[in-house]
Amino acid sequence: MRVLIRHESILLLVVIIALFTLSIQAEQFATIENLLNQGRFLTEVSLVALIMTFVIVTGGIDLSVGSILGLSAIILGVAWKKMGLPLPVAIGVALSVGTLAGLFNGIIITRFRVPPLIATLATLALYRGLAEGISQARSIRGYPDWFFILGQGELLGVPTQLWIVAFFTIFTGFILGYTTWGRATYAIGANEIAARFSGIAVNKTKLFIYSASGFAAALAGVIFVSRVSTTRSDMGMGLELDAITAVVLGGTSIFGGKGTIIGTVFGLLLIQTLKNGLSLAGVKSDGTYVAIGFVLILTLLISNLFNRSSEG
Amino acid sequence: MKDDSALTLRIENATKSFAGVTVLNDVSFDLKKGEVHALLGENGAGKSTLIKILSGVHLPDRGKIILENREHVFNSPKDAFKNGIATVYQELLVFPELTVAENIFLGHTPKRHGFLIDWKKIKSDARKILDNLDSHDLDVDARVGSLSVANRQRVEIAKALSQKTKVLIMDEPTAALADTDVRRLITVVKRLKEQGVSILYVSHKMPEIFEIADKVSVLRDGNHVGTFDILDVTEDLLVSKMVGRSVDKLYPSSKGSHGTPILEVSDLSDGVRFSNASFILHRGEILGIAGVVGSGRSELAQTIFGINSSKSGSIKVDGRKVLIKKPRDARNLGIAYIPEDRGTQGLVKEMKISQNISMANLDREARGILILSQQEILNAMNAIKKIGIRARSAVQVVRQLSGGNQQKVVVAKWLQTEPRILVMDEPTRGIDVGAKAEIHALMRDLADQGMAILMISSELPEVLGMSDRVLVMNAGQIKAEFSKDQATPENVGAIMTEKVEEVA
Repeated sequence: MRVLIRHESILLLVVIIALFTLSIQAEQFATIENLLNQGRFLTEVSLVALIMTFVIVTGGIDLSVGSILGLSAIILGVAWKKMGLPLPVAIGVALSVGTLAGLFNGIIITRFRVPPLIATLATLALYRGLAEGISQARSIRGYPDWFFILGQGELLGVPTQLWIVAFFTIFTGFILGYTTWGRATYAIGANEIAARFSGIAVNKTKLFIYSASGFAAALAGVIFVSRVSTTRSDMGMGLELDAITAVVLGGTSIFGGKGTIIGTVFGLLLIQTLKNGLSLAGVKSDGTYVAIGFVLILTLLISNLFNRSSEG
Repeated sequence: MKDDSALTLRIENATKSFAGVTVLNDVSFDLKKGEVHALLGENGAGKSTLIKILSGVHLPDRGKIILENREHVFNSPKDAFKNGIATVYQELLVFPELTVAENIFLGHTPKRHGFLIDWKKIKSDARKILDNLDSHDLDVDARVGSLSVANRQRVEIAKALSQKTKVLIMDEPTAALADTDVRRLITVVKRLKEQGVSILYVSHKMPEIFEIADKVSVLRDGNHVGTFDILDVTEDLLVSKMVGRSVDKLYPSSKGSHGTPILEVSDLSDGVRFSNASFILHRGEILGIAGVVGSGRSELAQTIFGINSSKSGSIKVDGRKVLIKKPRDARNLGIAYIPEDRGTQGLVKEMKISQNISMANLDREARGILILSQQEILNAMNAIKKIGIRARSAVQVVRQLSGGNQQKVVVAKWLQTEPRILVMDEPTRGIDVGAKAEIHALMRDLADQGMAILMISSELPEVLGMSDRVLVMNAGQIKAEFSKDQATPENVGAIMTEKVEEVA
């Protein structure tokens, strides 16, 4: 545990340094308005990354989240506009489809013993293909005004979706850190066989986590549509990589068994800080990506260095 | 012949400490040419450290290694290997995707023209070495991953002998072997001895030490307790030297009375590894199942526990027929299973002792889904005291414990579920004599309090010493049942190993 805390403290330090440096470099950066606005952009990847933490802690991975986001967004648009369902019902349908898509990943992984990397690589293509097929490359617009509250509105001066992210963060942090479900997640990631021999329902837990991952991606899709006022089939492309980067940056072991929600939150903050701050400071987007890659490697190296010296 | 000329290896005053803790303190002894020298000691006594110093993994803080009258400093395992000291570790280091011949010559492949691999020579040399080890049946082109543990070990030994080896170090070579394979290994060791190879042999198993060793050195807490001629010592003496106190009796005695049937298994088959298993287990009884690895004994136990599913047959608990589909069902019926492989099946080694101990029972101890962590640590502390786990604290990571203490954590985990039926698969495999005696005493205590214990073991002395009744399994069948008085090593051993030779 001390080791984990150490990684997260290092990360927090890096976040603070980044915030500090960037607020000197770019005047517009450290304004409340800008930061809250950045929160809006951060919402979709955050929802996905929080659940991705569970997935990676079990030793798995979910590459299909970006495609599930796209598919759910399209389902939302089609169910509402083409099929004429009331919008709340359409949202329900979109969330259900996303959850089922996640469940399907889970079934392939647990029943047919396909490695998660392969299974979700396949469904990444499958779900994106479905999204494009259903949308026929046409975007859907004209949503009623109340729907934009979710992605563009505010509650008590804070963007609506940030409340959702905050709730999600506390909820997932509680589940992973303090409950039997969280413990099962860690045990499966550290030693799946021993977990099974201890009576932990390994497959059920995994099915649940992959379904939750699908749900989070679908919810992110709905919020995305509300934020940009339109539905397109290429939404969420590459989202999986941003989410995984944040989780790994947050100290979650890609081999499973280790990781925390707070680490993922710091990882998310650092990435968004760099993206926004650097662009405000006049760095081009390719330069920003180089910087993110660099910070990722550096943070992990420093953390490894500390861990090794504390062991020996 | 002068005594010194026959000397191969001398260790003088070897001392090593890690992070301020001395794990090896001023250890000296000699190894003569063609001598089998057993190294005994509980886990943590310093055996591994000594081996690692000799094989070049660690540099000693102080002390000398003198090989054939020349002092050496081994900076790496390769260094030691080149100078004729080869080691066969307990965890085999073979590469499963490579062939037998490739494994044997890995790292010093014979070459033609300086860079082309000489495949012909590799194969013929590998063949020669294996024949020399009496392993005519081992194909040099076979993929090592497809071989049994015993055969992989032969590959390791062949690899060790593929260069001019003067000293062969074997670290618990029989820990994972079935009895027939142990016999073959002993033959190999004897043959190497005849060829003048000196062998440093680490093992917990007394019978084989008395069979092959010429000398025996005992380590305790990093200190060299003494080196003895094997003819001058008894098993009891060695054990008392190892643990530093006398162990009165190797096995605790049974009260001999037991209660009503609690587990009745009838005609149980899994369709693959065992069939038509029937037996009755009573309260307060230790029922032993003797059988070699692969006899279907673990599969039988795992089917009762719900890891594997059964094809036919029935299980009754308290006279009522039950359906066990998963381990949780078994636990809820009061059945616990302590698996044979504690590293992969028994423990999550990266987790704390407390988290491992609560693992099978956490849903019952939690408030809803909320883990009560104070309570969890308190439970662990109680278990640690009760079972005698030697650990710094309840929140220590399990990986840092010795084998015997790890095994006690597995036992503690399952006792936490308050079982009435305890199935123990190889309960003392690979743990030192002291911890072994403690686990045996605990088992007898539990049985005396009314626990029904089903104990699986391939160690004959353990089965015979602990059991009130003995079942013998062979090739997936329960072949015989003996009462405590009838169960002799000859009776049980004969049925355990019957016909198995053909399969190998």
